[in-house]
Amino acid sequence: MKLNTREITKKFKDHYFKPICLLLAIILFSSHDLYIKVGYYFLMPNQQSTLSLYNGTFENSENIITRDRMLDASLIAHGQRIAIQADQWKDQDSTITQLSFLTGSAGTYVAGVSTKARNIELTADDFNSYLEHDGVLDMLEQRTNNNLLDQDAVESYQKHVKAIFQVGVTKTDDWSTILGYPIEFIPLANPYEKFSGDQLEVELLLDGEPLPNQLVYADYVKNPYAHSHNDLAQNDNGQQHTHNSESEGGHSHTSGQQLRTNDEGIVSINLPEDGIYYLRTIYMVSVTDSDTLTHQSKWATLTFEVTHTHDASAQTNNTSTHTHDDHDHEDGIPTWIFILGSFLIIGVLFLFFRKND
Amino acid sequence: MKHINLKQTLTLLLLFIPLLGFAHDVTSADQELLRNGGLLAYIRVGATHMLTGYDHLLFLAGVIFYLKSFTDILKFITIFTIGHCITLIGATYAGITANEHLVDAVIALSVLYKGFENLSGFETLKIKSPNLLLMVGLFGLIHGFGLSTRLQSFDMGQGQILAKILCFNLGVEVGQVLALIPIVFIITLSRKHKQFPAFYKAVNWYLVIAGIGLFAYQLYGYFYGH
Repeated sequence: MKLNTREITKKFKDHYFKPICLLLAIILFSSHDLYIKVGYYFLMPNQQSTLSLYNGTFENSENIITRDRMLDASLIAHGQRIAIQADQWKDQDSTITQLSFLTGSAGTYVAGVSTKARNIELTADDFNSYLEHDGVLDMLEQRTNNNLLDQDAVESYQKHVKAIFQVGVTKTDDWSTILGYPIEFIPLANPYEKFSGDQLEVELLLDGEPLPNQLVYADYVKNPYAHSHNDLAQNDNGQQHTHNSESEGGHSHTSGQQLRTNDEGIVSINLPEDGIYYLRTIYMVSVTDSDTLTHQSKWATLTFEVTHTHDASAQTNNTSTHTHDDHDHEDGIPTWIFILGSFLIIGVLFLFFRKND
Repeated sequence: MKHINLKQTLTLLLLFIPLLGFAHDVTSADQELLRNGGLLAYIRVGATHMLTGYDHLLFLAGVIFYLKSFTDILKFITIFTIGHCITLIGATYAGITANEHLVDAVIALSVLYKGFENLSGFETLKIKSPNLLLMVGLFGLIHGFGLSTRLQSFDMGQGQILAKILCFNLGVEVGQVLALIPIVFIITLSRKHKQFPAFYKAVNWYLVIAGIGLFAYQLYGYFYGH
C-alpha cells in the first residue's frame, strides 16, 4: 500500500496546523482587559471585603498588576479620596492582585486604579487580529481605508479602571467623583438607584473632556454569586490567555451591548437583568510624531451591580428577574422586633395561663 | 425559693435570647468569609447559621420541651441530626435546591406542628398522633434541606465541594450543641417550678403562633418579596 504523504501533509495543514496557528494568534495577541471587581458589591458598614484586579477578562484574571505600574489607586467615600498604598496590595496565585479593606459608614463607594503606559510591538497581522477581537473597530477601519493593514505596530497602552459599590443603605454622591484619569467613565446617575429594566447614562471623559463617537461595550454577569466564576476556576486556566470570542460562550471582549457615545460623550446602558455590569472602551489614535510609537491607546472599564429592587420605590420594576442573591438574606424580620415580640407573646401567655390555672 | 428559680429561669432566658438575635442573617459578610476563610470558614458559618436560625431553634426547643429524660433527648436529637445531615449533604452535593421561602415555610410549619403536638392538639382533636420519633426524623430532613438551600445560595467555588459541605455540616452540629445547652438547661430548670405548666403552655402556644407567623411571613416573601 502506497502512502500518500503529500495528501496527509495537506490534510494535516488544513485540519490541524491552520486552526492551531489561528488559535495561538488569538491566545497570544488577544489583549488583557483590566477590571476592578469587588468581592461583593453590596456590603455592610464595617465589613471586611476584597478588591480584585482582574487582568485578562471580566471572568478570568491571568496576570497580576505589579505595583510599579500603578500611577494611582484610590478609594472614594463620603467625599474623601484615600490613596491605596502599594504594600496594601497582595497577589493571589500570581494571577490576581487583591486588596483587603474594611468598609466605613454607609454610602456609595468608588474604587479606581490607573496604570502607567506600556509599549507592545506587534506584527501587522497580529495587530489587525487584536483590533478585531478587542473591538477597536474604528482603528481597523482606518487601517483598511488607508491601506495600512500590512504595517506593523508599536502601541503604547494605559489602563484606567473603576468600580462602584454600595455599603449599607444610604446613598452618597461619590459615584459622580471624577478621578482625573486620562480616560474614565462617569455615571450620570447613581447605579445603586437604578434597577433591572432601567437604563443608566454614562459619560466618557478623555483628559477631562467628553469623548464623542467612541465605541463602548457593556455586558453583565447574571447571578454572580451562585456559581463558578471563582478564583479556583480561574486558576485552573493557568497563565495562558485562552480567551477568545468563540471559546467562552459569548463572553468575549466585545460581547454584550455595542454602543457609541453621542456628541456629549454619553452612552445609555440597558440594564435588562440583575447582575454585575461591566463597561469597557479602548480609545486608540495613530501616532505620527514619534520615532518609536505608531499608536497610542487609553483603556477604561467600570463595574457595578444592579438588582431589581432595594426599596419600596422600585417595586414597579420587573420582578421576573428574581434571584436569591446573598443580600436577599439580609432582609428579614428585624431582630429586635422578633425578640421583643417573642418576649411579649410568651410573657402575656404566661400571665394568662398562670391566672387561669 | 421557687420564686427565685422562676426569676433565674427568666434571667437565663433573657441572657440567651440574643443568640436568636441574628435570625438567619446569612449575609454578604458570610459570603466574604467563605470566599477568603477556607474550610474553617464553612464550619464557622454553619455554626452561626444554626445558632442564629430561630426556626431551627424553636423546633428544637419544642422537641426538648416534650422530653423529660436525657436519654430521650439524646435519641430524638440524634434522629433529627441524622435527618438533616442526609438532606444537607445529599441535596447540596447533588445540587438539588428549591425556593428558599417555600422551604422555610415548611420549616415554619414544623415549629407549628411541634407546639400543637406538645399542647396535646391531636388528643383534643381525637386524632392519633403520628410517631414522634418518625416526625422528628422527617422534620430533620426538611430542616436539612433548608440548610442545604441556604448553603447553595453561596458561591462555593469549584474545589473541595464535599469537604466544604461536610465542614458546613460540622459547623451546624457544633451550633446545634451550643444552642441545645442553654435550651435544655432552661427547660430543665423551669420544670422544677410550680408554675411550669403555665410556662409550658405559654411557650408551646408561642411556638404555634410563631409557626403560623413565620409561615405567613415566608409565603408573603414568596409571593411578594424580591
